[in-house]
Amino acid sequence: MASKISTGLVGIAVEANARHKLKLLYENLVTVVSRMPSNTSYRTYTEEFANQQLHKLDTIKDDAELESAFGTGQLEEVLLQAKSELRLARKLETWKPWEGSATQPPTGQWDWP
Amino acid sequence: MASLFRSALRLRNCFGIKASSIGAKNGISRFNVPVCAKYSNVASNDEIIQPTEQIPAVRVPAEIARNKLVEYGNFVSECLPKYIQQVQITHTNELELLVDPEYIVHVLTFLKDNSLSQFTNLSDFTAVDVPTRPCRFELVYNLLSIPYNQRIRVKTYTDELTAVDSICDVHVGANWYEREIWDMFGVFFKNHPDLRRILTDYGFDGHPFRKDFPLTGYYEVRYDDETERVVREPMEMAQEFRKFDLTSPWEAFPKFRKTPELPPPPADQEEKK
Repeated sequence: MASKISTGLVGIAVEANARHKLKLLYENLVTVVSRMPSNTSYRTYTEEFANQQLHKLDTIKDDAELESAFGTGQLEEVLLQAKSELRLARKLETWKPWEGSATQPPTGQWDWP
Repeated sequence: MASLFRSALRLRNCFGIKASSIGAKNGISRFNVPVCAKYSNVASNDEIIQPTEQIPAVRVPAEIARNKLVEYGNFVSECLPKYIQQVQITHTNELELLVDPEYIVHVLTFLKDNSLSQFTNLSDFTAVDVPTRPCRFELVYNLLSIPYNQRIRVKTYTDELTAVDSICDVHVGANWYEREIWDMFGVFFKNHPDLRRILTDYGFDGHPFRKDFPLTGYYEVRYDDETERVVREPMEMAQEFRKFDLTSPWEAFPKFRKTPELPPPPADQEEKK
């Protein structure tokens, strides 16, 4: 366990057991996403992403290496990102953006000289 | 399909890791992380070109950047086929999503919360007025993803009477932008917490950025010596003999102009040359 006093970011405190929480969040994400129809792109992309993150969490033991493997900041930031992804997945479950195609705009709407 | 996802990761490899690991050495990291926050055993990576004052950052070649944008655009339109009407890339390599106005909040929520997008910063939000279209107002959202160092533009449309959903719940910074658009163009935003005029004066009439708003305005405000106060009167053109053209003097969309079909030039002129 590396000694870490502060994240250096306003409003983001140091998380003692970030790995455990991240694992829970990504497992939750996989279960939420698995309720979606299997042919939706969001489901395939998110499952692939979450499984990759879980794999990294399992294999890489060093915190600094894990952060650079994630590549999106410190573990506390990754935690926030995982939370928002979970929130989004729950919203998309009710919105169902994969059902149907987009309504077409009035003719000439997107034409630009 | 899956190649896009990997490209997002590759993109992260290009920008995220190198930038931060360079910073960890030279003390100019992305977020200016103080010494107490850093781990002592950061692995040194000699393959990375060290930035100097001459080489402050690495520029990605235009073709690679364009391919990434194409892949990311495919990713978004695959994930949200119901919401996105069209994806396009401008000639200056900017990705544009053209979105159904009913679902604008959903699209911006996806762009903000998705881990591979993270467009958390609303850098600009304006409208464009093109009176010849059936839906004359075009709403333009410019977003910035700080972790991936990427920008995106989202566009919708509306007319004078149709209200658009406010995005204040997603981006708090949109509050004043939406008030400005309401003031200047008269586009109404549903569920806005406080939709008032923001730029024009008290009792102002009309929406100044509409193309049919006269250049002189509708009211004149002046100091009246007799009553010794500022009075507000309807605009009156004093010179009766002059013909005033109240439309905008700038021809805003010259390519929308329908040129009358001219007869071909007479043949004898060409012969003289």
